[in-house]
Amino acid sequence: MNTHHESSLSAENDKSLVKNSKIKVVVAGQPNVGKSSLLNAIGDARLHTGNFSGVTVDTKVVDIKKDGYDISLVDLPGIYSLNAYTPEEQVSKNYLIQEEYDIIINIVDANTLSRNLIFTLQLLDMHKKMILVINMIDEIEAKGGSVDKDKLEMLLGIPVVLSSAKEHKGIDEIVDTIIEVYKHPKEKNKIYYSERIELRIEKLISILKKSPHFKDPDFARFVAIRLLDRDENIYKMIHDLPVWIEVHDILEKMYKKLEAEFDEESTTDILSNERAALSHNLQMEALKIPEIQESLSEKIDNILIHPVLGLPIFLFFMWGLFQLTFELGNIPMNWIDWFFSNSANYISEILPKGEFNSLLTEGVIPAIGAVVMFLPNILILFLGINLLEQTGYMARAAYLMDGFLKKFGLQGKAFVPLVSGFGCTVPAYMAARTLKNPKDRIITMLVLGFMSCGARLPIYVLVIAAFFANHNPGNVLFAIYIGGAVLGLIVAKILRVVLFKGEPEPFVMEIPPYRFPSMKSLLMDLWIKTKMFLKKAGTFIAVAAMIVWFLSTYPHHPKTEQIFEKKIELATNKKSKESLKNELNAKLLEDSYLGTIGKTINPIFKPFGFDWRMTVSVIAGLAAKEVVVSTMGTLYAVGGGLENNGLIQKMKENVDFKAAVALIIIIMIYSPCLAAMSTFYAEIPQWLWRTFYTVYPNVLAWLLAYTVYNILKIAGY
Amino acid sequence: MKKVSQMNIGDCAIVRKITAKEPIRGRLTAMGIVKGAKIKVLKHTLAKQTWDILAGNTKVGLREEEAENIIVESEK
Repeated sequence: MNTHHESSLSAENDKSLVKNSKIKVVVAGQPNVGKSSLLNAIGDARLHTGNFSGVTVDTKVVDIKKDGYDISLVDLPGIYSLNAYTPEEQVSKNYLIQEEYDIIINIVDANTLSRNLIFTLQLLDMHKKMILVINMIDEIEAKGGSVDKDKLEMLLGIPVVLSSAKEHKGIDEIVDTIIEVYKHPKEKNKIYYSERIELRIEKLISILKKSPHFKDPDFARFVAIRLLDRDENIYKMIHDLPVWIEVHDILEKMYKKLEAEFDEESTTDILSNERAALSHNLQMEALKIPEIQESLSEKIDNILIHPVLGLPIFLFFMWGLFQLTFELGNIPMNWIDWFFSNSANYISEILPKGEFNSLLTEGVIPAIGAVVMFLPNILILFLGINLLEQTGYMARAAYLMDGFLKKFGLQGKAFVPLVSGFGCTVPAYMAARTLKNPKDRIITMLVLGFMSCGARLPIYVLVIAAFFANHNPGNVLFAIYIGGAVLGLIVAKILRVVLFKGEPEPFVMEIPPYRFPSMKSLLMDLWIKTKMFLKKAGTFIAVAAMIVWFLSTYPHHPKTEQIFEKKIELATNKKSKESLKNELNAKLLEDSYLGTIGKTINPIFKPFGFDWRMTVSVIAGLAAKEVVVSTMGTLYAVGGGLENNGLIQKMKENVDFKAAVALIIIIMIYSPCLAAMSTFYAEIPQWLWRTFYTVYPNVLAWLLAYTVYNILKIAGY
Repeated sequence: MKKVSQMNIGDCAIVRKITAKEPIRGRLTAMGIVKGAKIKVLKHTLAKQTWDILAGNTKVGLREEEAENIIVESEK
């Protein structure tokens, strides 16, 4: 526990000591209480971001200086209750229980005070120094209500600050209160449960005290309460201690007795009911608010989640977001592409020719370009998603879509990442973060790749032009996209049933009131996402791009090059020069490591009629789907580019209809590009899932391609 | 006594029993849907697959399956 107040008392006389006083504060609160906006409102703050170990949950630390104190505020992910459920809640809970810190700031929403106070009561069980911040007080005052701060302070025994991030109210007071609380000893606990429960708590403490781990009476009381609350984490914590045997015996008896006494199924319910009743009374004492009529939120909801109109409105919003992300996003993407290819050309000219030049201008610079290229998409998509989340619409979207997606073992919110997948899989994987439940998230991410991304379009267009010439290309293309989506939904259902059989999936979700988004926290979040992407996925992507460059460039064949260069020089007209160049490029790629790999594994693709050129192209497609067509162009020695009719002609000559259909299936299902895979790895830390994700789409793609090929064969194609 | 899934839009009721198992039970508690709480059905989707419930001052989205596991008593 805390002993800092002693040192800071003596420090008051000595300025040089005060300067080094560091205060560590954890900021905890339920989701949707405006925690980030409040933290962002603290002036002169420096924000650090990072990751909690083992999970993809961002940490934010805000550093401020005041009156010679260095104060760091650790912003914990939103947590509804110490009976944690989502991984984010688990992160917060572990931090609260296991880490060292001086003060807890508990932020609550004045509008839902009683529900928020239930969590506050759980925090008070910890007996740490604590400050209660009642946020969004402006909304209560606007309705003509008020919160009695003094009364709450008296009842809870901790300082209370009324604040509003929007009106910048109470922000300085929070900082001042931190310093005050830090300087003074902790006040005595004022929250007690009913007699029959306190009796059991006392009994448990007396047993726990026998162990040296629970010498601190406050901590022993906390553990005793959590044990009565049937807290799995606390079981695990003391499971290996000698005192456990005695605790375990008495605990079982206590559970039975209490459950009989209170006529409840579980002691967890008894404690929940006590806290609910207590927080209800606290709210009655401290909050004055006139009877609410229909709120603005409800009026908006009458339209936006209208039983009939809700869905089309939502689909329209999604269409808009999609257009913005991938149409508007393509403009800066072209600039980025232009910038990097021109820089590469420029540097290639000013540097002496050779290995280093080639490494830099064909390896490194394009690799960096490949990373930066995704930023416009990611930024726009996340701006959109953050807007949906901050305004409160995302919860409505989940409400609207859940009935449909539930049938396929997915959750309502999965719709946004799934649709984004049609644009680009990389930001779509990141968008899956909006799913807080890890099972929902992993299933969504595992089937996301089946939503054909924009980069696969040229491949489909090529195959359609070559083999479906007498069909409406739009219809064929539509069938391919829908086919992928339907397959994704079916696979999602299978994954849910096979991998998570019989596990209940709660869909109990707060639907927050509509709010105007805060510009500052929108931008802050975008900045954090950008940094995370560049740091984590970016390094993966750059390395992967370098490896692909290496495989397709080496080993060098100076002899072949020399022979062809002579031939090219001797060629008389432009046309034959061009075709000789194409031939050289085809020969070089064929003899590169990539070509060798493709030829070696060609037997795998033989059963559905791929020649080695198609195999190499498909393998190159693992790097980026954009290069599939250009690789084919190079290998069939007709030069890259879709506008090239030569390639369509060559395809017709070399590939039969069945193999073309198999190619579509492979492209649709097999692993997405390295950038997407890197993003998946960055988002999902468990190696088991990473391995599964890397293997299963390729197996599925092969099996389906093989099946369809043979069905077509039997059908006489 | 009836289930929330049997209520109509605009109906108010008092929660009498929650038959859901953990972890759904804990989620409901955290949202303020506990024994004795007053709730109101704000909306449900066309096929009644998803429900929008007001508990205290919190709006909660629920699935049909969860709405079936909340037993309420109607309020006049």
